[in-house]
Amino acid sequence: MHDAPVGRREDHKDVWLVIPVYNEAQVIADVVEHARQTFPNIVCVDDGSRDGSAAAIAPTGAHLVQHPINMGQGAALETGLRYALSRPGAEYFVTFDADGQHRVEDALRMLEVARSGKADVVLGSRFLESRETVPWLKRFVLKTVVALSPTARKLKLTDAHNGLRVLNRPAAEGLRIRMNGMAHASEIVGKLARSDWRVAEIPVTILYTDYSRAKGQSLVNGVNILFELSLRHRGA
Amino acid sequence: MVIQFLLLLAVAASLFYFVRQQHGVRLQAGKRLAFVAFLFFAAYAVIRPDDVTWVARRVGVGRGADLVLYATVVAFVFVVINFYLRTREMERRITELARAVALRDAEILNQHRLPTSPAAGPDAEAAMLAAVVAEGKRP
Repeated sequence: MHDAPVGRREDHKDVWLVIPVYNEAQVIADVVEHARQTFPNIVCVDDGSRDGSAAAIAPTGAHLVQHPINMGQGAALETGLRYALSRPGAEYFVTFDADGQHRVEDALRMLEVARSGKADVVLGSRFLESRETVPWLKRFVLKTVVALSPTARKLKLTDAHNGLRVLNRPAAEGLRIRMNGMAHASEIVGKLARSDWRVAEIPVTILYTDYSRAKGQSLVNGVNILFELSLRHRGA
Repeated sequence: MVIQFLLLLAVAASLFYFVRQQHGVRLQAGKRLAFVAFLFFAAYAVIRPDDVTWVARRVGVGRGADLVLYATVVAFVFVVINFYLRTREMERRITELARAVALRDAEILNQHRLPTSPAAGPDAEAAMLAAVVAEGKRP
């Protein structure tokens, strides 16, 4: 599933890949090593994995941040962004999945858009071009979510739950992810809609391998996400 | 029926309470007063059930026990939402704490793992170690 490395590493010294990791010991080292052929700076946030993910990351060249307890993907992304923001020379921040779903080539094309200054935030979309890789039920549910989400409509997004994103420094600094669980994707879209950052969407291909299919988000979890979001800023 | 109006009012009130962004001392005090009032109401209902039945008749419920049950359900929903929100606030604080710990430890860990890392210099590392020791935590 891995292709030859793309682009020169020296060109991407100002880029940080942020990878939230939760129980991905099987694949994480491969994903990191492959991405590192293109991106020298990677931070993996091990979100309290119990399968030795941290040990799998340790021999790689990625920076490792370990949550003492499991807190959810949103929390791990936020931690990774905080860490990357504190590194000298970090200008662009790429959120990347640990299970090998995302392609480095897509990240590079998104970076190009961010570097061109045409957008502050570049989001990946599975639906911008007709591609046959998304399972039909997932496609249907994700499209329904976008159609029902006022913020996603405002930004004219076609895919509100894609984990591949590129943020420039001001956007990464301004983004404060408060939803610890999976609701962070909707939270990010909501924040983008309320901000004045320019948002672009770029078609990407998600590699639905057997591994990622087995690990991936169950659609049932959508219920949990809706519940979390409906009560997000309420009360004490 | 009066009871339907009262129950709907309770639902609207709880929505209004929990949807408000900031929770100050007044709201906190209000919750506690409501709790005490509910205790008194329950005690009264036990001692003088006929009085409660009289009230129940006025508001359109058959028996006093039913009225107590309705009030209990409303109170229960209130408590559950309150508890949920407090748990989440606590979760938020734990997240901040755990993140701070994780970032601090990562600084040291990656310094040793990735010696070429252009991050903080040796002085910063010594300071960081001192801070860790001061907190009584092994690096």
